[in-house]
Amino acid sequence: MSDSATTASSGEAPAPEGKFHVFVQLAMVLAIITGLELLVVYMPLENWLIITLLMIMSAVKFVAVIWIFMHLKWDKRFVTVLFVIGMVVGGGTLWGLLLIFGAEHSTPVGPAYEELG
Amino acid sequence: MSSHAATAGPTDHHHDASTSTGIPNKKLFMWGFLASDCMFFGALIATHLIYRLHPPVGTPDPRDIFAIELTSGSTFVLLMSSLLMALAVNACQQGNVATTRKMLLGTIVFGLIFLGVQVYEFIHFVHAYGLTTSSSLFGSTFYTLTGTHGVHVALGILWLALMYIRSFKPRDDSAGQGWILRGFFHFLTFTAMVVLSLYTLLALVHGYEAGNGLAYFFSNHFLAFFGCIALLGGLIWFAKPRGPVDFGEANAIDVESMGLYWHFVDVVWIVIFPVVYLLEYVVLS
Repeated sequence: MSDSATTASSGEAPAPEGKFHVFVQLAMVLAIITGLELLVVYMPLENWLIITLLMIMSAVKFVAVIWIFMHLKWDKRFVTVLFVIGMVVGGGTLWGLLLIFGAEHSTPVGPAYEELG
Repeated sequence: MSSHAATAGPTDHHHDASTSTGIPNKKLFMWGFLASDCMFFGALIATHLIYRLHPPVGTPDPRDIFAIELTSGSTFVLLMSSLLMALAVNACQQGNVATTRKMLLGTIVFGLIFLGVQVYEFIHFVHAYGLTTSSSLFGSTFYTLTGTHGVHVALGILWLALMYIRSFKPRDDSAGQGWILRGFFHFLTFTAMVVLSLYTLLALVHGYEAGNGLAYFFSNHFLAFFGCIALLGGLIWFAKPRGPVDFGEANAIDVESMGLYWHFVDVVWIVIFPVVYLLEYVVLS
């Protein structure tokens, strides 16, 4: 891993053999994180803590896959910027919609909701 | 692997000086598409979450419906398929066609397992719990989101299969375009194998659930099982080496672009799994 970290800072990709080991090690880490996600759900913790942990683990997996498996680490920064633009717009849409529909005046009304009181 | 690397030379697969951006055009196109797909899935995930936060009366409890152990297993399988895809790209960049093919096949098989689990899950939800796209808002948003992701997986498998078959194009084109016809039948065999094996597997699972033994399965589905074996033999025959092929390091960018798409499908599931499945066990508990 140290080799790849060194070469990344200089903008060069490691030898394919080096990448092979990086990929296998990353897959093992991702598998462990997936197991931890499942464990956390059943742990006697506060809801906000569990949700925070789930979001952090999901974000770590997300970044690890796009950074290593999808080669962003070794590609030109322009590609990263391009994808981040899509992610920000997509994530912003998600966040914006959740805020709009989470507002007090956006609480749905009608026959389907009447029994909720 | 090292011998291939030695002959491949110091090719830089991450940069292309012939384009104005310095990035291979195919790769740039794929990243642009994936960026737009982020917005698409962002909207679908938001829709599902909004209706989960405002559930109408009569919304079923997803914890009674989901089989979280099964979904966790398929999540693991999809992660491992991503590893095989990365190794396929790595092998292709070294000009190692045999390993590229093996890794592509592995990715296809893992993708099919994921898809098979999703098909089984959907069938089970409909028949056991009556959850359809029109039975509740939860059903509508759940099937739309996970179904759209499933379609992405299916398209990825199709692309992988076509790339696998493409890797058999002979270097010597004096025999004309006969390889296209052979490739077409290769693809037909592959498709038939996928459909029949999924059918056989689902029949086995449903038989097991109904308490029927293997004897019942073979007496009712022997032809399908035998068909799978025959089609597997056909696939092995098609994959027999027939001389040098026109596929190698020069095609690495094609395999890498396909890999980007496949990894993105995995990345989307990395978000969907906790948001749609795991959060149900936290927020509603």
